[in-house]
Amino acid sequence: MSAAANKQLLQDIFAAVATGNRQPLLDHLADEVTMQVTGQNSWSQTFRGKEALVRDLYGYLATLLADGRRTVPLRFIADDDHVVVEAKGEMRTKAGIPYNNAYCLIYRLQNGRIVEIREYCDYALTEAVLGPFPASMKQRG
Amino acid sequence: MKATDHKPDDNKTIVQHVFDELARSNSQPLLDRLAEDFRFVIMGTGSWSRSFEGKAAVLAELFAPLREKIADRITIVPVRLIAEGDLVVVEARGRNTTRDGKAYDNTYCNVIRLEAGQFKEWIEYCDTLLVEKVLGPPGEAAK
Repeated sequence: MSAAANKQLLQDIFAAVATGNRQPLLDHLADEVTMQVTGQNSWSQTFRGKEALVRDLYGYLATLLADGRRTVPLRFIADDDHVVVEAKGEMRTKAGIPYNNAYCLIYRLQNGRIVEIREYCDYALTEAVLGPFPASMKQRG
Repeated sequence: MKATDHKPDDNKTIVQHVFDELARSNSQPLLDRLAEDFRFVIMGTGSWSRSFEGKAAVLAELFAPLREKIADRITIVPVRLIAEGDLVVVEARGRNTTRDGKAYDNTYCNVIRLEAGQFKEWIEYCDTLLVEKVLGPPGEAAK
């Protein structure tokens, strides 16, 4: 797929994510997708495979965050098989504390599927509001 | 050369050269390409997170305090460039040591906007927790 087509795909996915609907994102994750949470903090790790990503990262976040959370895209930058999305979270924890992180998400696509994600965000805010990622769930390797 | 004459590949080439030199601890090509109204934004909620407006402010209020914290010359190694139009995204890794001997190897995603070959805006995403733990707030001695 062209850079333009990849960009359009991410724009369509984020049009849904911006309303709190994450299903199109989940539908476009390749089974072998990897997601790297960058940095050197408790959340930093690589999730390998859609099953691990959905269960161990997205599933854990769902236990912390209230329903209706949104990630609003601000800008898309596409180059060949990579699409960069700058975005703003609009979320609250289940205790009602605001959690509005600023994200730079880098997606690599292959045949209309997301095969790689790298996340950059404000991890000081992540740990301050969401706490550390549980050591028992930390991905190995 | 007009702004529209700089195609994405040219912008990517310009930024690649700047970062190849930053990887060799040479910041002069970067400094030579900063527009007078250059804007640098450190995203997040950390003690360094803010917008620096204008080249003079960036040099005095960001680069100078950073040099106070870091031993030797600042080194940043590019990992990947992604470019479209006037925007070049650089994923990069720092390779630095604080003045009291601590490793400071942050991970960066930099979104850079160019105009007529000059850097107009640089938005930096990084591990803000690492910044607080290793560098500490600007103006304080490195931890």
